[in-house]
Amino acid sequence: MTLDPVLQLTALAALALVFASAAWHKLRDLLAFELALEAYALLPGWLLRPFARALPLAELTAVALLLFAPTRGAGSVLALALLALVTGAVALNLLRGRTDVGCGCGGIEDEQTLSWALVARNLLLALLGATGLAATTPRALLWLDYLSVGAGALALFFVVVLANQLIANHPRLARLRVRPA
Amino acid sequence: MTSALAIAVAVLWVIVIALALAVFALARQIGVLYERVAPMGALMLDEGPKVGERAPSFTLTALDGSSVNIGQPSQTGELVFFVSPTCPVCKKLIPVLRSIARAERDWLRVILASDGDEAKQRAFYEKAELGDFPYVLSTELGMTFKVAKLPYAVLLDESGTVRAKGLINSREQLESLFTAKELGVESIQQYLQKA
Repeated sequence: MTLDPVLQLTALAALALVFASAAWHKLRDLLAFELALEAYALLPGWLLRPFARALPLAELTAVALLLFAPTRGAGSVLALALLALVTGAVALNLLRGRTDVGCGCGGIEDEQTLSWALVARNLLLALLGATGLAATTPRALLWLDYLSVGAGALALFFVVVLANQLIANHPRLARLRVRPA
Repeated sequence: MTSALAIAVAVLWVIVIALALAVFALARQIGVLYERVAPMGALMLDEGPKVGERAPSFTLTALDGSSVNIGQPSQTGELVFFVSPTCPVCKKLIPVLRSIARAERDWLRVILASDGDEAKQRAFYEKAELGDFPYVLSTELGMTFKVAKLPYAVLLDESGTVRAKGLINSREQLESLFTAKELGVESIQQYLQKA
């Protein structure tokens, strides 16, 4: 199955925006991210500091690769690998029953605690990334196509931000439902 | 025809983006509301020294080297606030603690307590600029007050008696400790149940 280039470009541009914002939030408060990583209890102490710096840099690399046509495929692969890595870390902690760990994803997600909703969100993001690997139907792009790509990517990005907010709201709502005896 | 379609698409995009932003803003406001109306009063886990009992006394050394007395009769009451560098809510409550320490400074000392790896604690202490608070590290203190979840606060009066305590997630819950002390009840939950 081949994909229209506009669909592919929109998906990848939206993914690049998501990664750029994630990296920016991590770099803005590196210590907070390091502490969040520690709470995941997956890495030995000496690895926390280098890993906390390497991850946002890898995210920015993925953004840069996604932006340009010749490296788009490589960017998709890197983005998918990073998504698999962080989703795996979240899923491992969920399987260990640790749901009160902060997400440490930065921004609004800082208020998120781990949940399967995060895993589902990341799978949908991976779907966006996977479009980078699909074959596209070659066709000349009009200016209107570029409008669709730009506006579509922006709209998708806002929907992801919105989903994050709703995921962060959920445990608060759950706390309201059970009244302490 | 083509330009009519193009304009229609452009207008629709503007509306879609504006609506996405509007829904996001609504979700954000709902989140803030959930936070504000969260359980009335600090949730009290009924363990450790009871409200109305004398707290066990401690003399500890703070991170800045000063000596801190907890639970001994003194001029001021004490709010012992248990935190950890890994707890996101703790970080959020630090500005609230600062404003309470300022507003109640005539009769109250705010003490931060934690335990665990000292290097991590120091990094947190410096990063969050906690220099105005005495910050003590003691596993025994947390064990004595049976602190199971963070952030946790214990309010002691001038005689070293426990006046209120509980798990704190918001400014309202922290303030409820002071209300509990003023009303002379164990916790706001208990007060509401009686009413």
